[in-house]
Amino acid sequence: MDPRIPEAASVTSSKLIKFTNCRLLRGDSLVKADLWISPETGRVLHGQDVFYSQKLGPSKVIDLGGKILAPGFVETQVNGGFGFDFSNECDNLSDYAKGVNKIRKGLVQFGVTSFLPTITSQKTTLYKKVLPFLKPSSSIRSASQGAEILGAHCEGPFINPCRNGIHPKSVLVKPEDGFASLAECYGADNLQGGSNSTVRLVTIAPELPGAIDAIADLDARGIIASIGHSTTTYEHAISALSAGASTITHLFNAMEPLHHRNPGIFGLLGVPSSNKPFFGLIADGIHLHATCINLAWHAHREGCILVTDAMFAAGLPDGVYDWTNGDRIEKKGQVLHLVDSDGKIAGSASTMIECINNFRNWTGASIAESLTAASRTPARMLGIDGVKGVLEPGADADLVVLDDSEDAEGWKSLKIEQVWKFGEMVFKAD
Amino acid sequence: MASYCLPLGEGACWMLTTTRRLVVRDNQATASEYVAEYIIQRINAFAPTATRPFVLGLPTGSSPQQVYAILVAAFREKRISFKHVITFNMDEYVGLPSAHPQSYHTFMYNHLFSHIDIDPSNVHILDGNAPDLESECAAYEAAIRKAGGIELFLGGIGPDGHVAFNEPGSSLNSRTRVKTLAYDTILANSRFFGDDLGKVPRMALTVGVATVLAAKEVVIIITGAHKALALQKCIEGPVNHMWTLSSLQMHQHALIVVDEDATLELQVKTVKYFKSIEGVAKECGYDQMVPSEIARQNAERAAEEAEMKALLESKGNGTKANGANGGLMVNGTPQRAVTPDIIPDRMSSRISDPPIPEGMMKENGELKMSNMHSRMPVPAY
Repeated sequence: MDPRIPEAASVTSSKLIKFTNCRLLRGDSLVKADLWISPETGRVLHGQDVFYSQKLGPSKVIDLGGKILAPGFVETQVNGGFGFDFSNECDNLSDYAKGVNKIRKGLVQFGVTSFLPTITSQKTTLYKKVLPFLKPSSSIRSASQGAEILGAHCEGPFINPCRNGIHPKSVLVKPEDGFASLAECYGADNLQGGSNSTVRLVTIAPELPGAIDAIADLDARGIIASIGHSTTTYEHAISALSAGASTITHLFNAMEPLHHRNPGIFGLLGVPSSNKPFFGLIADGIHLHATCINLAWHAHREGCILVTDAMFAAGLPDGVYDWTNGDRIEKKGQVLHLVDSDGKIAGSASTMIECINNFRNWTGASIAESLTAASRTPARMLGIDGVKGVLEPGADADLVVLDDSEDAEGWKSLKIEQVWKFGEMVFKAD
Repeated sequence: MASYCLPLGEGACWMLTTTRRLVVRDNQATASEYVAEYIIQRINAFAPTATRPFVLGLPTGSSPQQVYAILVAAFREKRISFKHVITFNMDEYVGLPSAHPQSYHTFMYNHLFSHIDIDPSNVHILDGNAPDLESECAAYEAAIRKAGGIELFLGGIGPDGHVAFNEPGSSLNSRTRVKTLAYDTILANSRFFGDDLGKVPRMALTVGVATVLAAKEVVIIITGAHKALALQKCIEGPVNHMWTLSSLQMHQHALIVVDEDATLELQVKTVKYFKSIEGVAKECGYDQMVPSEIARQNAERAAEEAEMKALLESKGNGTKANGANGGLMVNGTPQRAVTPDIIPDRMSSRISDPPIPEGMMKENGELKMSNMHSRMPVPAY
């Protein structure tokens, strides 16, 4: 066996699946190649090595008839869906666990195979109660659980009240004691750090007192600090970047707009390319104008991450729904507004595949580039490149099969045909 | 000779019975298609089974790449199966990890093996990382023999006429061995290694010229103007170890498929001649395929050989080119006669001894000893 091939990519049993006659997402392009996976290890195999060194053929060949085979989507901002919200304070914690499971199983049909459940600004009691339910689920590599939880995204409460969006101002706090304030709020037990950390990503406004210190401490622990819900200046945002912040939460939304003498957070996309941060974009067609998405994409392609910012109302019929802290949200089609708020947008009701299709049509990005923005780029941001978001040997066999079509008006769309998790099929379109 | 080709005359018939063929197609795509379809037809006619597999020799390179693409497409259309095909590849670099993007293992996997139903244990590629390269080569030859020899060897050539890594100057009698690459080849291949000469492997394992020639049939695809000189040297030039493919002139069942560009250096009459062979063959109602019946029916062949032997014996010494088996009708399709192996005699045996002048012979049948000057005429002065 070739010493350069990771051990995880080898196989001991002859139970192998080969996808053939497909276009694989490899690097920046779609290539005509086969993909071998092991349903036993749930990982992508080095097909060539299995073929030559182990002299094994596949026990099952799946002919995809020229369709696209890509890594499953990695979602870094999901607030909820299917009537449940990760910020819900359930009376009974077993209801919370049920809600989490419902979302995990529901998300796979949209091609999302791993995600960061996202909690908007809440009271500290809620974090301590619910965060343990959102710790990384990878210890049990089970396809039947649906999408994998990579840890929680805490969007607040250390954010600027002037850019709170729909987060209730009453719960917002300042990280005056740096990391200690964060530990007090989320619970030190939930900030273990590294890839097993319950809290994986924190959205924080760098202009708040103590925020820069907190960012440095988060970074030192391997927890990702994301700049967002902030009025910070370009100069201060640079300091946050130097302190260790590596990404921006939903670029353009909940921050100062670009001014030619004060470029603000958006200006970070203009720093030398080695220092440019990642950034999330909500390409639902409501949060952002298409041209802003195009602008950001062209400013820094390697950092572009598509997020849905989906809310509990995603997948529910139109109407007015109770939300947290006594607020109410009105859903009309895909548009969610906070009731009595002058029309503030309250997250989205769109799906990842819709965002990918919007993004592709608005920016002119290739299929490969569009899919990368929903898979490899978020994986790189999370420090799990090679495990998620790629089809390389040793990576988890989280896959989507997509069909490519174009309508009479020239709108190009990808449609999800199949979704695989840890080497097992978990969704198949009718 | 058989009645179906009588109108063409005896000479034409002889041409048709030879199976050294040059097929010219308009471009690379059509040339590749011809080769791929030919291989498909050959394998299907052979009807391989687990006990009687088809043994196929394979090359890498840009010319065969399109052939492989067509074979893969044909496999998907279920026109061909590789289940009972054994393959032997021509060559591999020494010291390059087999998973390296430029290794021939990778090339074959990406362009052919991963897409078809071949059994991995039927695939043979030289291991350039073997601890003992010499015994790896010897084992390769042994594996070919064990598989019953190669039925069809597909190949391409380099612009310098090399076949596999048998660089100019290689012995035409060579077998599988370690070969040092020519500077030209390293230079040409450096484009696959980031234009860094230092990264190009300097040695390779390769089948020898004789290994290729030992195949029952050799099919070579040559496309592009940059290979025109090599084609000319190999077809019109003499057999020469500086153009190793020229050795194909010695092979009984060779098929060279080229595109128009590759014929640029050939004489017009050469191209026309080979095109006419193809035309005439078509008129006579058969393609230019080696009848696989013949390759297959070893018993029949053995019988022929016995017949030939008897014929030769009855006529005493003499070179006989063909048996009486021309124009067989097998299953209603005309089959060409086999070109039997030539059994060479000594040329001297065809020359009768000159009469010995009188008085030169002793009574016991030996020549008398005499001074050489005694045989010279006496000068006239």
